[in-house]
Amino acid sequence: MNAGLNGRRVLIVEDESLVAMLLETILEDMGCIPVGPASTIDEGLAMAGDESALDAALLDVNVAGQQIFPVAEMLRARGVPFVFSTGYGEGGLPDEWRGQTTIQKPFTEAAIRDALMKAMGVVLA
Amino acid sequence: MKALCSGIALKELVISGELAVDLASAFDASPNPYMLITPEFRYAGMNAAYLAVTGSTRDTLIGKNLFDIFDSGPTEEGRQNSRQLRASFERVLATGKSDHLAVIRYVMPRVLPTGETVMEERYWSATHTPIRDSAGRTAYILQHTNDITELEVLRRQAASRQTESALNVMIGGDILTRAEHVQEDNRRLESERNRLFDIFMQAPGFISVLSGPNHVFQMHNDAYARMVGRDDLVGKSVAEALPEVREQGFIDLLDRVWKTGETFEGRGAPLQLRRHNDGPLETVYIDFVYQPIRDGAGQVVGIFVQGHEVTDTLLAVDRQRLMIDELNHRVKNTLATVQSIAMQTARTHVDPASFAETFQARLMALSHTHDLLTRSHWEGAELRAILEHETEAHGPQRVLLNGPSLALTPATALALGMIFHELATNAAKFGALTVVEGRVLVDWTITATATGRTLNLTWREVDGPAVEAPTRRGFGSRLIERSVRHDLAGNIDLGYPSEGFEAKISIPLDRGDPA
Repeated sequence: MNAGLNGRRVLIVEDESLVAMLLETILEDMGCIPVGPASTIDEGLAMAGDESALDAALLDVNVAGQQIFPVAEMLRARGVPFVFSTGYGEGGLPDEWRGQTTIQKPFTEAAIRDALMKAMGVVLA
Repeated sequence: MKALCSGIALKELVISGELAVDLASAFDASPNPYMLITPEFRYAGMNAAYLAVTGSTRDTLIGKNLFDIFDSGPTEEGRQNSRQLRASFERVLATGKSDHLAVIRYVMPRVLPTGETVMEERYWSATHTPIRDSAGRTAYILQHTNDITELEVLRRQAASRQTESALNVMIGGDILTRAEHVQEDNRRLESERNRLFDIFMQAPGFISVLSGPNHVFQMHNDAYARMVGRDDLVGKSVAEALPEVREQGFIDLLDRVWKTGETFEGRGAPLQLRRHNDGPLETVYIDFVYQPIRDGAGQVVGIFVQGHEVTDTLLAVDRQRLMIDELNHRVKNTLATVQSIAMQTARTHVDPASFAETFQARLMALSHTHDLLTRSHWEGAELRAILEHETEAHGPQRVLLNGPSLALTPATALALGMIFHELATNAAKFGALTVVEGRVLVDWTITATATGRTLNLTWREVDGPAVEAPTRRGFGSRLIERSVRHDLAGNIDLGYPSEGFEAKISIPLDRGDPA
């Protein structure tokens, strides 16, 4: 069931360390290799630009009061699929990013898995 | 001239000299009865015709109150007519405009050729005109009367023969009754019109009436003037009176209502107004209706504008939406935090009882820091207070706090709360607090550099059992390290000298933490 995700390197950008730890644990359980986590936009940009092999990313929309979209743009330019995670819901996204795969806090493992598969499937297709 | 009146009034009526005499003579010679009364209803003058029809002499009338001289008679109808006459005079005094009475009935004494005096019913139609003094006040009321008694008598004769004759239909009761009805209706309509006008003027919403294709202000109420910040509107077109709205589409809307005759309704529409001369444009939000006003033939002749300002409401709704969004965000984040605590705790505590105890203790640590932050309305919390909160369960003498007062931002406070909870739990489970004599020394200082202040804090356990470095890192130490580095952008050193566990934490305090 996790075959598609096994060994995938997934960048995490999340400012709350407890939430970041949760995401790491869930990703590890699915066989993924967590990258990061980045806790600021700057760290996120650095990791999104430098990490040579990224298969996907989980991006908190509001990172320490700043919006994640510069990181999202960089990933989009690199062709790395990503999933937004937010407490606001998809309605909180600006028009440009509406329709992007989004998971709601608090998460379930299934929601994270489905979202990653969907985001990566879109790219593979 | 002398025959007509006491002179004072007519002097002011006419200009002077010959003309005055001519006019006065003409008045006196008129077959129509005229009289002049003061605002107190006292006779000031009358012409010969008036004296003739009332059967009075000038001396018996001048200076007397009209209502004392001419009693309305014993009947309710008489009293009603008397009230109508008085009301008409009062309307003239109040409005400064002429007033008309279609029918007024009076019972008057009349001396018969036999010398006998009888009371006779007379019917009049009267016009009351204000006569102003040089200061513009109504000094007198001129009454011009037409005797319509003959019509009334004819009507009665026709009625007494009990024939519904053409005459009766034409000139009889119908006309008089109709005239009476019209008069009654007019009175009612006027008082209703006045009442509506008052309501209109005092309405809390803004109201205006625009006339013609250029939308000229015919009238507006106080609320309208207050909203637009000026009251020199009447007689001007909307474009002239409110030049700043020209380009905002409202005049196009008015044009459309004028052309199509269809009502337009707007909700929460932004409107920019210059409420003070040379002041800035201010944006207000309005709910409004443009309603066509039609004449009897159905032609649009104007537009009725009404509405109310909703600026405050919209801003409040906006603020509330932002607050709800922010609250939702925080609640969801907190739930994710709790989820994380539960999941991580479950990994290291397979036994349900042990899981429940540890999970609850961690939740309480989070909750305590929330309490502290709530007390300060989420403006921050004091470092010492957080330490006391998280360690007091172990006894006040056993954890010794030593350092300056320091206010922490909410995000730093929340992270440190969890960190101190894990450190204290660890000490109570494995470290110095497992023995009676064991203590924890917490010391902190604040140093300042060019990049801002740094908090240096040491957690040192003494007089406890001999320490060995752990073989694997549990959730607690992972959380501590992660939280310091990740949440607080700081550094942490965990040391395991045999005399006691030691944690050295340094945290930058001025990194523009938005939370």
